[in-house]
Amino acid sequence: MSESGMGACPGDRGQPGTGAYRVRAEVAESERLPGDHHRLVLKAPRIAEEAGPGQFVHVWCHPPEEIGRPPCAAILRRPYSISRVRPPGEVELLLRVRGVGGRMLASKRVGDQLDVIGPLGRGFQIRPELRRAVIAAGGIGLAPVPFLIEALASQSVQVTLLAGAAHDAMVPYRVDRQGAQGASLPELAALGAEVAFVSEEVDGKLVSDLLEARLGELDPEQDEVMAVGPRAMLKRVAELTEGRVRAQVSLEERMACGVGACRSCVVPVAKQASPAAMAATEGGLATRSGEGLGYGRAERPAGLGATALQNGPTYKTVCREGPVFYASEIDWERLDL
Amino acid sequence: MSAPDLTVKIGSMTMKNPVITASGVFGYGEEFFGLADYGELGALVLKTVTREPRAGNPPASRTAETPAGMVNAIGLENVGIEAFLSDKLPVALGYGTNVVASIAGDTPEDFAHCADRLDSSEVAAIEINISCPNVKKGGMAFGVDAEASAEVVAAVRGATKKPIIAKLTPNVTDVAAVAVACAGAGAEAISLTNTFSAMVIDVPTRRPVLAAGTGGLSGPAIRPAAVYRVYQVARAVRVPVIGMGGIWNGNDALEFILAGASAVAVGTVLYADPAAGSRVVAGIRTYMEQQGAKRIGELVGAVRIGE
Repeated sequence: MSESGMGACPGDRGQPGTGAYRVRAEVAESERLPGDHHRLVLKAPRIAEEAGPGQFVHVWCHPPEEIGRPPCAAILRRPYSISRVRPPGEVELLLRVRGVGGRMLASKRVGDQLDVIGPLGRGFQIRPELRRAVIAAGGIGLAPVPFLIEALASQSVQVTLLAGAAHDAMVPYRVDRQGAQGASLPELAALGAEVAFVSEEVDGKLVSDLLEARLGELDPEQDEVMAVGPRAMLKRVAELTEGRVRAQVSLEERMACGVGACRSCVVPVAKQASPAAMAATEGGLATRSGEGLGYGRAERPAGLGATALQNGPTYKTVCREGPVFYASEIDWERLDL
Repeated sequence: MSAPDLTVKIGSMTMKNPVITASGVFGYGEEFFGLADYGELGALVLKTVTREPRAGNPPASRTAETPAGMVNAIGLENVGIEAFLSDKLPVALGYGTNVVASIAGDTPEDFAHCADRLDSSEVAAIEINISCPNVKKGGMAFGVDAEASAEVVAAVRGATKKPIIAKLTPNVTDVAAVAVACAGAGAEAISLTNTFSAMVIDVPTRRPVLAAGTGGLSGPAIRPAAVYRVYQVARAVRVPVIGMGGIWNGNDALEFILAGASAVAVGTVLYADPAAGSRVVAGIRTYMEQQGAKRIGELVGAVRIGE
């Protein structure tokens, strides 16, 4: 059996809760990619079935059977956004190998087991009336983009991907600079997106520059921007889209628990989000029916809520109420970049 | 041979086993729902609440991973006592085991107010957090002073009939003296340790990693230091001691029990293994069976010194 339940108990799909499973997943593929990137494919059918684009898994980097021994390094799990799900029940992760946890995971071989909790967090919301999505993604922010493109394309949403990085090697995909239309990422274009790629080094441009040039094309009712990447980029996306078109942004922050308990990964949220975003977050969660991949069901995690105060900042957790927020939900002035 | 008896009593609270959650780590309990059967534990100690909601410390970052541990400076972000009573406590009670509320405040009156509000609730006990290193007022400011600690305990004692657990900080010269003062003021149990004051610096930027500058260290890194403080306190007071600090498995828990703890709490380990509590219970039970111990009390303080 490739996946076995570890901590699940009867009724674990009820509210409140994470809506997540803790499983022992077998490594199906482990591949080193250029630029310190690594691709891990896990056999985790229950996570694959429930996951939506933008959600993440929380991975224990040590062998599962050694969970009873305290490790010296990588004592916390590591969050990784789900890059793709694919039949039969596989979950693909793209890691940028930097610290000790990433190195441990990159050394996993096919057949090794991993203790994984997921899917976690609130992913991208796909509104039924969505006609066109412009994805803005920078660097390792491209990790969850394949899943997002596939989810959007399966619901007949027209997808444009504006991708970028400091230089070409900072991207976990092959960069094709031969095309007449400019650089592209063929692997992602093949999933059903029109792709434009720039690097600061070669093109002297940012993803937000590409977005700015396209803003006029977007219809405020039917189109939406979805952004993943560095905070400075996300803030620029928020500025460019404010009052013009809805934008969702995926944030990262240091986490400990991954389920909303420890309040480590909080971000400041605006006291009053725009009415459009509020409607979209609270009322408009119904998505188009999923067609076989299981991401048609939009589920808002249990309403743990922000710590609402009369005065001073209000925070929400990236791990539970995020990682994807409407740009209008975030207090960008208070957010550390 | 009959199954060993793991039952522990803390004042009027009877626990089916000595393993509980450490405050803070377990949130309000609801967040972990479904990841393990927390009803198997002796008690669930929830995140500290205060009279009014608090936003806590600025983010980015509130947590840093360190060798065999982590440093946090959350700063008691919480929903406040009223939202706790109406929204959080009922959910936690659904686990079907003892629920312990943890309270903090800027003044003894704040503590007393929270205790008074909890007195008619279904919490099995109240833990007094006079040991948080991450808030400017209250918190550890009480816990480093035996007299101030006793004053808080006395104020809470006057507001509730529930068992009171005083949670102490290790960041003092003589933790036993603080424990004695708290027991003398009416605490039915002493829990320790809270985190050890700590700091992490990012060398490339020369800035503290935590936005608050400093924080508290938890995890296996502090375990031996925590075991020793539990040993000191257990020898100084007659009330039960709840030991914690880096417990990862049954053996770690037994160290605390042999040092004098009647019960133990799991904290940081829950982030790695949400089912660690049940694993620790199983480890203790196995040891008792191997040793032929009939009751957990036989092991409490049973460390052999100078034999």
